[in-house]
Amino acid sequence: MKVNLGAMGRATAKIACLALVLFIIFGPLSSLAIWSVAEKWYWPHALPQQVGLFYWGRVLGSDLMRSLQLGFFIATAVTTLTLLCTVPVGYALARFDVLFKSVIMMLFLLPQAFPQLPVFANAAVLLYKFDLGATIPGVVLIHMVGSLVYAVWIMTAVFKSIPVEMEEAAINLGASRIRTFLTIALPLAVPGIVASSLLVFLYSLDEFTGTLLIGAPFVVTLPVFMYNASMGYELQVASITALLLMIPGMVLLVLLERYLKAEYLSMFGRI
Amino acid sequence: MRRLENAFWFTFAVPTIGIVLVLFFAPFLYSALGSFQSKSGQLTLDNYALVARLYTKDVLYTVGIATFSLAIVLFIGILLCGYLRVYGNQLVEFLFKIPLFVPFVVVGHAMRVFLAPHGILNSMVAQIGLISLDNPPSLAYSWLGISVALAWKNMAMAVLLILGAFRSVHETYLEAARNFGAGAIRQTLDVLLPMSASSLAVASVLMFTSMLASFSIPLMIGGGKGAQMTMIDVYYRITYQGDYGAANALGVVSYLLASGAAIYYLRTVTRK
Repeated sequence: MKVNLGAMGRATAKIACLALVLFIIFGPLSSLAIWSVAEKWYWPHALPQQVGLFYWGRVLGSDLMRSLQLGFFIATAVTTLTLLCTVPVGYALARFDVLFKSVIMMLFLLPQAFPQLPVFANAAVLLYKFDLGATIPGVVLIHMVGSLVYAVWIMTAVFKSIPVEMEEAAINLGASRIRTFLTIALPLAVPGIVASSLLVFLYSLDEFTGTLLIGAPFVVTLPVFMYNASMGYELQVASITALLLMIPGMVLLVLLERYLKAEYLSMFGRI
Repeated sequence: MRRLENAFWFTFAVPTIGIVLVLFFAPFLYSALGSFQSKSGQLTLDNYALVARLYTKDVLYTVGIATFSLAIVLFIGILLCGYLRVYGNQLVEFLFKIPLFVPFVVVGHAMRVFLAPHGILNSMVAQIGLISLDNPPSLAYSWLGISVALAWKNMAMAVLLILGAFRSVHETYLEAARNFGAGAIRQTLDVLLPMSASSLAVASVLMFTSMLASFSIPLMIGGGKGAQMTMIDVYYRITYQGDYGAANALGVVSYLLASGAAIYYLRTVTRK
């Protein structure tokens, strides 16, 4: 009997701990869901008096859709350009004795270690001088700073993990370096490239600081839209936007969960 | 042929390095130089005098919040990862990865609604009867709200980093400890923690810097009155006053605060 009680106690403790974990993770997020359907909610009621999808209908027919499309367009551009730039550079850094290699690697590490906001504020001044302020290309460029820094490291790691012997065999048979890269290394690197491009895409979709500083007031992506709604106390609109903003990340989390390694995710620990 | 190949790699390297140089390093240096210039362009230390007069308290406030959130994250993270390493629990491990992919602004907004005086947390606690809603305590718009939000967001990264370090400790050490009767907590504190101390130090440094530099979370749940996080001060100084000199001086102070961390981080990463 005593043993049984101990087992029961342990099971209860385990369930209590799980409940606590669920509360810690979903408590803050649940307020988004509740606010998104609150049509009437006066204090001091613990839950909304009237619940419905009124605000969902209103939001989905509003400027939000434009922000959503714009965000996807920018993220696609950022991802494409970042891949185009960093795949060859990552390969070169992984395989060749590049001149000033350690300096270059350092160049792509430092931005991760310093506060971005003061730098981006000055970058905004520079972009305005070239008439790129408050334009889509300007926002794409500022997103690329963050994504390039991240992608160069990841691409280098991806190519380093591919055994060099296969490429040596191709070179011994007379293939040029470029051909070896295109026909041997590149196809083998595809899984790594796909995973990191998804992360770059998500980074661009979620980026706030740079978009606010460079894009305002004309380039309004979803995070900036949500910020404006929240600051204007349109809590339903902001909460619905917040929920929509979470979807891509949650999909990615489920897709990539097994491959998540801390060193690949440094970008998401930041602003 | 050789020359053609070099040209190929060079073509891709130029825009990559170029964008980072022009849009990160140039503005970085520009902000450092700008902090020593008056509005008319003369060399001066006035900006720093202004920062010392107006923002000393805010800098201390920022360091305080970052330290406090880091303490929460490490305390929960170490115990949780110890449990996950010794017993394993895939569901809990998965749940703690969620905050990683919740965007910062969403965390800011969610916490703002959750922790507000009449927010979900208070009304839940009031149901149990612990507080009265007539005079509710407010966590949002205070240092505690910012700390809780930062800790929540950073917890995922902490779990990934700490659990990674704990997993690299070989099972035989834990078996040895178990043979001497050590429970999960003893195994965590006496075996796992000391053996992954250096990885933990790097993780702490990373999180501390990112908390110091946090912008969107304090922007959304920080109070309008009283002390502010330094990044908010930088932002307001620029958008409301157009005062780049003082904003840059404050920026340089934030670089210096982060640089201890940066040097440490660079040394450990490049050593690998």
